[in-house]
Amino acid sequence: MIRRPGALVYALLAAFVLGSAFPLYWSFIIGSVTRERATQNPPPLVPGGHFLENASRVFDRIDFWSALANSVIISGFSALSVVMFATLAGYSFAKLRFRGSNALMVFVVMTMAIPPQLALIPLLKEFSNLGLTGTQFAVALPWLVTAFGVFFMRQYLVDAIPDELIDAARVDGCSMIRTFWTVAVPAARPAMAILGLFTFMQVWTDFMWPLLVLQGSDVQTLQTALDQLKIAPGQTLSDMALLQAGTMLATVPLLLLFIATGRHLVAGIMQGAVKG
Amino acid sequence: MAQDHDLPGRGRGNNAVLDRGGPPRRPKKPGPATTAGGHPTRRYRLSRWDLKASPYLYILPFFAVFAVIGLYPMLYIGYLSFFSWPRFGAEHGSSVGWENYVHVLQDPVFRKALVNTVGIFLLSSVPQVLVATVVAALLDTHLRGKSWWRMSVLLPFVVAPAATALIFGSLFADKSGFVNDVLGGIGLPDVSWHGHRLASWTAIATMVNWRWTGYNALILLAAMRAVPGDLYEAAAIDGASRVRQFLHVTVPSIRTTLMFVIITSTIGGLQIFTEPRLFDTNLQHQGGADYQYQTLAMYVFNTANSAVDPYPRAAAAAWLLFVLIIIFALVNFLLIRALQRRSA
Amino acid sequence: MKKTPRPWRRILALGAAATMVGSLTTACGDGDDAANALGPDDILTITTFGDFGYADVIKGWNDDPDRPFKIKETRIAQWDTWKQTLTADLQAGTGLTDVVAVEGDAMPQFLSEAASEQFVDLTDSSLDDRWVEYKYQAGQTADGKQIGYPTDAGPEAFCYRADLFEQAGLPSDRDDVSKIFSTWDEYFATGQEFVKELPKTKWYDASGSIAQAMLNQVEFPFQSADNEIDVDNAGLKDVFTTVTDNVPTLSTRAVQWSDDWIANFTNDGFATMPCPGWMFANIKSSAPKVKGWDIADAFPGGGGNWGGSFLAVPKQSDHPKEAKQVANWLTDTEQEVGAFEKAGAYPANLAAQEELTSRGEVDPYFNDAPTAQILANRAKAVPPGVPYKGDKYSDILGLLQTAIQRVDEGGSADDSWKTFTQAVGRLN
Repeated sequence: MIRRPGALVYALLAAFVLGSAFPLYWSFIIGSVTRERATQNPPPLVPGGHFLENASRVFDRIDFWSALANSVIISGFSALSVVMFATLAGYSFAKLRFRGSNALMVFVVMTMAIPPQLALIPLLKEFSNLGLTGTQFAVALPWLVTAFGVFFMRQYLVDAIPDELIDAARVDGCSMIRTFWTVAVPAARPAMAILGLFTFMQVWTDFMWPLLVLQGSDVQTLQTALDQLKIAPGQTLSDMALLQAGTMLATVPLLLLFIATGRHLVAGIMQGAVKG
Repeated sequence: MAQDHDLPGRGRGNNAVLDRGGPPRRPKKPGPATTAGGHPTRRYRLSRWDLKASPYLYILPFFAVFAVIGLYPMLYIGYLSFFSWPRFGAEHGSSVGWENYVHVLQDPVFRKALVNTVGIFLLSSVPQVLVATVVAALLDTHLRGKSWWRMSVLLPFVVAPAATALIFGSLFADKSGFVNDVLGGIGLPDVSWHGHRLASWTAIATMVNWRWTGYNALILLAAMRAVPGDLYEAAAIDGASRVRQFLHVTVPSIRTTLMFVIITSTIGGLQIFTEPRLFDTNLQHQGGADYQYQTLAMYVFNTANSAVDPYPRAAAAAWLLFVLIIIFALVNFLLIRALQRRSA
Repeated sequence: MKKTPRPWRRILALGAAATMVGSLTTACGDGDDAANALGPDDILTITTFGDFGYADVIKGWNDDPDRPFKIKETRIAQWDTWKQTLTADLQAGTGLTDVVAVEGDAMPQFLSEAASEQFVDLTDSSLDDRWVEYKYQAGQTADGKQIGYPTDAGPEAFCYRADLFEQAGLPSDRDDVSKIFSTWDEYFATGQEFVKELPKTKWYDASGSIAQAMLNQVEFPFQSADNEIDVDNAGLKDVFTTVTDNVPTLSTRAVQWSDDWIANFTNDGFATMPCPGWMFANIKSSAPKVKGWDIADAFPGGGGNWGGSFLAVPKQSDHPKEAKQVANWLTDTEQEVGAFEKAGAYPANLAAQEELTSRGEVDPYFNDAPTAQILANRAKAVPPGVPYKGDKYSDILGLLQTAIQRVDEGGSADDSWKTFTQAVGRLN
């Protein structure tokens, strides 16, 4: 029976979406007014006409396109890597019985509790001694596989793959990897898509690690490039309008990706695996 | 009942395979397990090895990367926490035993940070999980343009945390901020968002929730899609309202995922760093003039820049934070399991 | 100097365990892959924060075919971010460029024993008279080792809104107002009169900036000459009491650099503010439409300096000689004048100061004030060695600023002072 949701559902969702979108809209407004107007009180509520002007100043000030390319490469590489390794590990924890499986899974979850702030220094030292600093690879390396990814895939696959299917495949003589490929991966697809998108976004917005490890080299990610916008000639006060315009410009590619893949993603969620 | 045409995910259970994108391909027939003489064939031995080793091989990439990226720094930091290391010194000095830990535990700022962290965590993670569950349920209906609705909740995640802090910082400015303007407009007094402790927690929790609620909602939505339709139909036949169906069918069915969301948002909620740090416009970034909103992660970071033995003391604080997070996550896990057992 | 990656090191990466142990015990990266002499294709690296105004002068160096090597400048937006990286790299023993910029308030930290070991001794007696005395000394350790060459200086004048002064019935001409800014008593008394006339406008931009200005005139505010911490002294207490007493009447209660503070530029939030050279551009860009700003060539209590940075050479650098040479060149007269023209950084270099004064340029935004002349006068009024900045100067300064902020936010001055002394006590 198809029951269309009532007005209340739409109203609640609309409120939630409005709340989600408002700060972005705000950022756009500030990015579209003049520098002086941006910091005045009362603040502007409607867009001024200066967005393109501010945006072109952003392009003048930073090497936007190469930073964008780097961000895309690094984020894409990390997303693919995380999805691949996390699905593999998640499948193993979820469906394969082996000694120490529970203890190791708990260990994986525990690793998520490590505060990242201090790890930067020993990591930097390690990377420098290995001659890896200043490369895109160095930025992506800590993101090769994440504990969150493993935990996420594991909990999804526990319910998403009926044990009978795996047994059936094994009985039919599939090797382990074949079973993984033909049974687990199709069932995991929606979760893989979500994890991929989440990882992509997280790596895209990371700042401190790229800053540290790319320091002094010409390689820049979008976030480290944007930071340069805070340098106002001879001054310490940043140009708020410029900063927000830059933020908007850095957000747009992600939005586009999101819109392009989002529908498939969400459709994937719709075709989610079924609990028996 | 008629099939749900636009919701192929809701199948009838037994035809799981057909409801998905296609059946798994049937592999070739294997050879015999043993030779005529009773010895295990090469193929069989390979297969046994495959069975035993594969699980470990599959999890190896994670642990290998983790050993380099996560384990080594953690152990190194733990080791360092027992030494002294003068600021900007090239190497660490002599061993000081547990002194650094004692110093941290006796620091009134550490205690304030502890209270702040737990407070902000409660204000963020609890509403987050609740609202995410409700939003997921709302999205799990036959909306028109459901793809767009479902995507739009992830909008906040697109904005970098630093940019978020910039935006919300100006919205929550004490005198010239938009939120106070609105409050003034409806006759309420200005709130000292940067000065009042609870107010600052609320502002920061708002930032964090804004970013992560949609994220968690999508994860929960994915789990909700997998709940079989028959359960809802049975409940409807029994006369249960939508709300009751939600409480008694949906929520129990997404147990594992709910647990996952609670654990990850607990761990994340206790590690909050960027938002409160940038919320403080004072160049010290110390989380409020009276440390109203300094979290433990900020404490670790600021200690690493302090005057005496900065790095070892920060290392001690980092390990204490790590232990705290483990304890909280564990308590959460056991609590929820106990609740589930009671309701089952 | 760019390090060329070695392929065999990448292979070692697969044997993570062995490499990890190795990296634990190695203090610095190896130095055998850097040639000791620099050729024309080699690059000397420098990191600065904010805008030092070096973009053009470095381009000039790089375009000159007679120069033995090229210079590359990496610009980090804010000192705060760069400070994290600098600290991390110093402790990791690797990662720093050949020359690094250090902010003035942070310089004393690097003069302490353990820290100064990480930097090359830049002492050069031929440069003894190049800079203003107080800045030159501020870059030296107690035993005379020069760690940093001064770049810019921040001698303070007082910027004021002549139009608001007029409205309040005060003298508004640049020369006439210098009496108001001659002593702190006079300054605060006039302030009380002002806010009575114009209650919507406060007297100064932030309690923090006045506290900073007054503090700069206390001889031993935080630490005694042998770096013993002592915050119970009369000088510091006096500053704290004065500033907190005036919070209800004269202060905007805003925190410097906050959104509220910035907004006050455009809504007549305050009438005066202590103004080092680098503040001029801030005011101009925040409130381009406001007319009526002027600069008084006076400062209560004599003089003060706020800001100004240094260039230092970390021992990590593979080319200390060339780095020293570049630091020397960048702080030489011509380059400092160029930096001022580009970024408004007022030079610490004496000859450069004279050059700018002799040009006699005036700034129309500030009612045609002769900015260079004023700043040169103000620089002369700064006594060298005051305040004494021990190795924990910027830490304690930060604690003091937050102590004042607590009172701005409505807390009691006594409680705030208690918290302050408690926090200082933990700096051991």
